[in-house]
Amino acid sequence: MRVELTVNGGLMTVDVEARRTLVDVLRDDLNLTGTHAGCEHGVCGACTVIIEGEVVRACLMFAVQADGARITTVEGLAGDDGTMHPLQEAFCAHSGLQCGFCTPGMLLSALVLLGRERHPSRERIREELSGNLCRCTGYMAIVDAVEAASRGPGDLPVPHQQST
Amino acid sequence: MKPAPFEYVRPDSIAEVLDHLASAEGAAKILAGGQSLIPLLSLRLARPEMLVDVNRIPNLSTIRASNGAVRVGALVRHSQLVSQDQHPLLAAAARWIGHAAIRTRGTVGGSLAHADPAAELPVVAVTLDATVHIAGRSAERSSPASQFFIGSLETNLADDEMITAVDFPWPARWGFAELARRHGDFGVVTVAAAEVAGRWRVAVGGVGPTPLRCPAAEHLLDQGARLSEVAAAAAAAVEPSSDVHGSGEYKRAMTEVLTARALAGQGLA
Amino acid sequence: MGRTVRRKEDARLVTGRGRFVSDLNLAGMKHVAFLRSTYGHARITSISIEEAESAPYVQGVFTGEHPAFAGVALRARSGLETYVETAQPILAQDKVRFAGEAVAAVVADDRYLAEDAAELVVVDYDPLPTTVSAWAAQDAPWPGHMTPVHAEAPDNVLLRRTFQAGDVEAGLVAATVVVEQELFTNRHAANPIECRAGVAWWDGDRLTFWSGTQVPHLLRNCIADLLGLREGSVRVVAPDVGGGFGVKAVVYPEDVALCLIALRLPGIPVKWVEDRVEHLQAATHAREHRYRLRAGFSDGGQLLALDADVTCNVGAYSVYPWTAGIEPLMAGGLLSGPYRLGNYRCSVRGVVSNTTPSGPYRGVARPATVFAMESVLDEAARLLGISSVEIRRRNLIGPDDIPYRMPSGLVDDSGWYGECLERVLEQIAPSEVKAEQERRRTSGENPIGLGIACYNELTGLGRAASAGPRMPFRTGHEACTVRVNPDGCVTVLSGVCSQGQALETTMAQVVSDALGVDYDDVDVRIGDTAESLWGFGAFSSRQGIIGGGAAHEAAIVVRQKVIDLAAELFEANPDDLRVEAGEVRVAGQETPLCRLEEVARVAYLESHRLPESFEPGLEATRFYDPIRGAFAAGAQAAVIEIDRATGEIDILKWACVEDTGTVINPGVVQGQVAGAIAQGIGGSLLEKLEYDDAGNLITGTLMDYLMPSSADVPDISIGHVSHPANNPLGVRGVGEGGTLGPYAVLAGAVGDALGVRIDHLPLTPNDIWSVLK
Ligand SMILES: Cc1cc2nc3c(=O)[nH]c(=O)nc-3n(C[C@H](O)[C@H](O)[C@H](O)COP(=O)(O)OP(=O)(O)OC[C@H]3O[C@@H](n4cnc5c(N)ncnc54)[C@H](O)[C@@H]3O)c2cc1C
Ligand code: FES
Ligand code: FES
Repeated sequence: MRVELTVNGGLMTVDVEARRTLVDVLRDDLNLTGTHAGCEHGVCGACTVIIEGEVVRACLMFAVQADGARITTVEGLAGDDGTMHPLQEAFCAHSGLQCGFCTPGMLLSALVLLGRERHPSRERIREELSGNLCRCTGYMAIVDAVEAASRGPGDLPVPHQQST
Repeated sequence: MKPAPFEYVRPDSIAEVLDHLASAEGAAKILAGGQSLIPLLSLRLARPEMLVDVNRIPNLSTIRASNGAVRVGALVRHSQLVSQDQHPLLAAAARWIGHAAIRTRGTVGGSLAHADPAAELPVVAVTLDATVHIAGRSAERSSPASQFFIGSLETNLADDEMITAVDFPWPARWGFAELARRHGDFGVVTVAAAEVAGRWRVAVGGVGPTPLRCPAAEHLLDQGARLSEVAAAAAAAVEPSSDVHGSGEYKRAMTEVLTARALAGQGLA
Repeated sequence: MGRTVRRKEDARLVTGRGRFVSDLNLAGMKHVAFLRSTYGHARITSISIEEAESAPYVQGVFTGEHPAFAGVALRARSGLETYVETAQPILAQDKVRFAGEAVAAVVADDRYLAEDAAELVVVDYDPLPTTVSAWAAQDAPWPGHMTPVHAEAPDNVLLRRTFQAGDVEAGLVAATVVVEQELFTNRHAANPIECRAGVAWWDGDRLTFWSGTQVPHLLRNCIADLLGLREGSVRVVAPDVGGGFGVKAVVYPEDVALCLIALRLPGIPVKWVEDRVEHLQAATHAREHRYRLRAGFSDGGQLLALDADVTCNVGAYSVYPWTAGIEPLMAGGLLSGPYRLGNYRCSVRGVVSNTTPSGPYRGVARPATVFAMESVLDEAARLLGISSVEIRRRNLIGPDDIPYRMPSGLVDDSGWYGECLERVLEQIAPSEVKAEQERRRTSGENPIGLGIACYNELTGLGRAASAGPRMPFRTGHEACTVRVNPDGCVTVLSGVCSQGQALETTMAQVVSDALGVDYDDVDVRIGDTAESLWGFGAFSSRQGIIGGGAAHEAAIVVRQKVIDLAAELFEANPDDLRVEAGEVRVAGQETPLCRLEEVARVAYLESHRLPESFEPGLEATRFYDPIRGAFAAGAQAAVIEIDRATGEIDILKWACVEDTGTVINPGVVQGQVAGAIAQGIGGSLLEKLEYDDAGNLITGTLMDYLMPSSADVPDISIGHVSHPANNPLGVRGVGEGGTLGPYAVLAGAVGDALGVRIDHLPLTPNDIWSVLK
């Protein structure tokens, strides 16, 4: 099936088998390998992407279902000139990652959380990120990073989700 | 962990969905939020020949009040339930479903049709004796929740039927409590209680193949019995089996604890 | 060193530009799916592959019978006399020994099609009696009733060894109290968020294997040996790896299978990405142990004797190349932990079963031994009426005891356990906990409890300390080349590899300090055997010490070369010269003599200016072996609250203090400790791999195998004491220590809250509720 996806602001057309999951199409067909697959049954959160402003498990959606959708992946967070998103900066500054495998999903989940609640407590951050497993950090540094970003001065935009 | 091949159709109307289901003669499945079905497909535990994606059918995503009940379209997402304020029990229960990303996609129709014995919405549906509206090729019908669930992952839906909406009666008082191993997990035991039209109703999830009503506990509630008696009566009504998350004995004891917790703060003795 | 700098890895990882094996997409690449056994133990009566082979999208179907596979097997070797050597086939031959064992491999155009084709392979099995427990069968009156997993080991015991020191019986007789316990720990696994993955490519001449491995050089050595290739013709690349924790330190049948398949399909890269269901079934498990203990204490609480019998369920095969001895021998060697003990007898055995093989997992065996040891101490304290803190104080190895020869013969070079413990207690305030506990007892509120664990992490094992399993190799050293390039920037080729521990960063910090150049000017290459030098890999908390040691020594040599050359060029006294921030300067003088690149330029491009006898170039290679290891002291304590009604545990407070020696990078060290503790909390409260009697894994997805989430792990107070170890950098390993505490801490805390003894893990709400009743 032909599918049109707006990924990180760019319109992409791919011809895919209906059974291919969105995470596989992003990674294999569009070469956007920043989105990871850790379980392929919806539990780990490594495949999290943002679709129409909301977090979605890309392993629990077929690419054909995303036809016409606006998708933000981790590759779309930094600016065109490579400037990191404040949340990415916060993860780097607070040791919010080790192996980095969970990080893309973690960033996107945190970003949508901060869009909804600008100043969540540590407890709320822990609750809301509990759908994204990290085996390396023990989470404390991730919570630190998200908390720091929430206290930062600037905006925390969700890139490529605004209608043009 | 990749799904076996299937044919994919994305009809725009309920009538077309029903046509596809009928012509596939049992080999088609409706795809709604996909949060239960896609894992099964990826594990190749389900292998339908056709998936009928209902996500683009208009007018199935609304929530509106209609005489003493709240009508929830089959495609209403769990996240919508969380943020609405017309039916607080539904909002409270939906908060317990999985994580944000699961709630973005998962639907009310899908949750009821999937009929996981540990899922929250079926418990609420049974507690309130919600009415499930079902479209079929020959006729539309509606089924009370008490009859809709017939076993673990089993409902009275025929292969060629589709849920279109669910009416959840509006409770004057209600309570909800769940025990899960981790934040966002399916409940080990879930209890919902609600007072509808002056009568209390209590149902428990995770303790049998379908959510179980506890008539004795309800009766005691209506009579204004003590909370501890009500809770004990609820526990006496269930006979759970053991699994990796808990023994039958434990789940029965938790039924008592959670019934008490669900009803705490309702001004009961 | 000593600073948290921006990690070199971060920029690519936070922007989605990481390079994991599963990200590789090579031209003409084909995809592999494995068909796995659905039986725990069965004879294979027939396999038919014709239908799969004839599918148009299939490039090949392989089974154990295939000539490429028939002659190859993994035989983990050990020199221990009691060790029974067994073979692990690459694809099952004749019979399957655990559910999930690979039976056939299919190569197809993409992974979806490979899985389609795998379904077309038909295997007929003749089921055999299955043994999943390592003790039920051993304890049976006639062990002969079972069908052995391997014919070579009719009693299913692959190895046994007794550690002995002093006179245990005399010690027990002299004791005022003798504590007797039987304890069980739960099978669980590392489960990194990235599963295993490999891409193998044979170009007719050279084999390249991209693998998410923790041991690239060792893997190359094994692959070359098993496939009969020259080592120089094999290149292993471990790019970004999404966590390892031991499970990726094993050389697996799937690794070898991919390479064998690649040899059969010249020019075609073949890729396999393990999915989570495969990972739970077929990547190594760990920690299923039974401890039977008798410990004698004097009336003052002094530990007089310990008599132990330890059984480890090693699963169906002896993991390659570490052997089935990995857990039992570690358990016997470290059971007495940081406590003084003269009279010791510990009989360990590794028993095979029809379950997934057990392998290294962060902390190897010690999370269980610490649990065992601490629970013995807690029980003795109760019996003797002294506090759980006091009994530890009285038995801990102290600074004056150093070097302390443990009863197993290992030599402890740290005596800072007491200091760690006291620092932890400052955070926890046991007397306040006690008072609150009493208050709640009378008020009837939910009980709280305090749990404590002290442990010694044996890190950075040199050749003398790594001798335990008597494998045909010793993992004592690492190599590193430090090269100043003509432009003055530095390239470091290091044998270490990284699965998230930030080795690019820490090696750069070590070299930047030792050589005197900016951190940003140091580029570290690791994980590619064609580029980096020999290293054994990431395990046993060794890379900071050994890899860091090699990097430091190499950098020192290069710095001396820089100084010598600069001294000649500028006619200065070499003893007065310093290299700092990329500049050579005379001590005490404001203006630098020259920039490093001026010296480098001469060394490479202006050889006419080189002094006679000065070898061109500016680089050095050093191997470093610490010979022994460095012990890292650690202590943890936590306060928990138990929901009396549900048995749920709420962690109120957690503190950890470890002796990390000299800290290279505080952020990285902190992260290692926090991550390790989180894994320990998972293993203590949530994680359990369970089989039914037929050998089917019933916790086969992440819906049933529960790993801790951000909502399950508390904020942790992490402190350090820094007593430099006796190695070039003074560092002690930090990778594993954190994992050693939580099992004992949580079991102790529950015991303290409820006044009971916990004898098995994990501590599920259900189990705690049962105790409460
Ligand atoms: C990690 C994870 C955690 C989760 N945790 C929870 C939890 O705690 N509690 C909980 O309740 N659920 C949980 N879920 C499941 C989630 O709630 C699902 O959304 C829900 O069970 C199914 O809804 P769906 O819309 O996704 O249905 P789908 O997956 O699309 O379909 C499920 C089934 O229902 C059928 N179906 C769907 N819509 C209709 C319809 N309108 N008419 C007839 N048949 C239909 C499908 O054919 C299929 O058989 C979790 C899922 C995941 C992956
Ligand atoms: S890969 Fe999608 S949730 Fe794990
Ligand atoms: S950083 Fe490795 S899984 Fe999170």
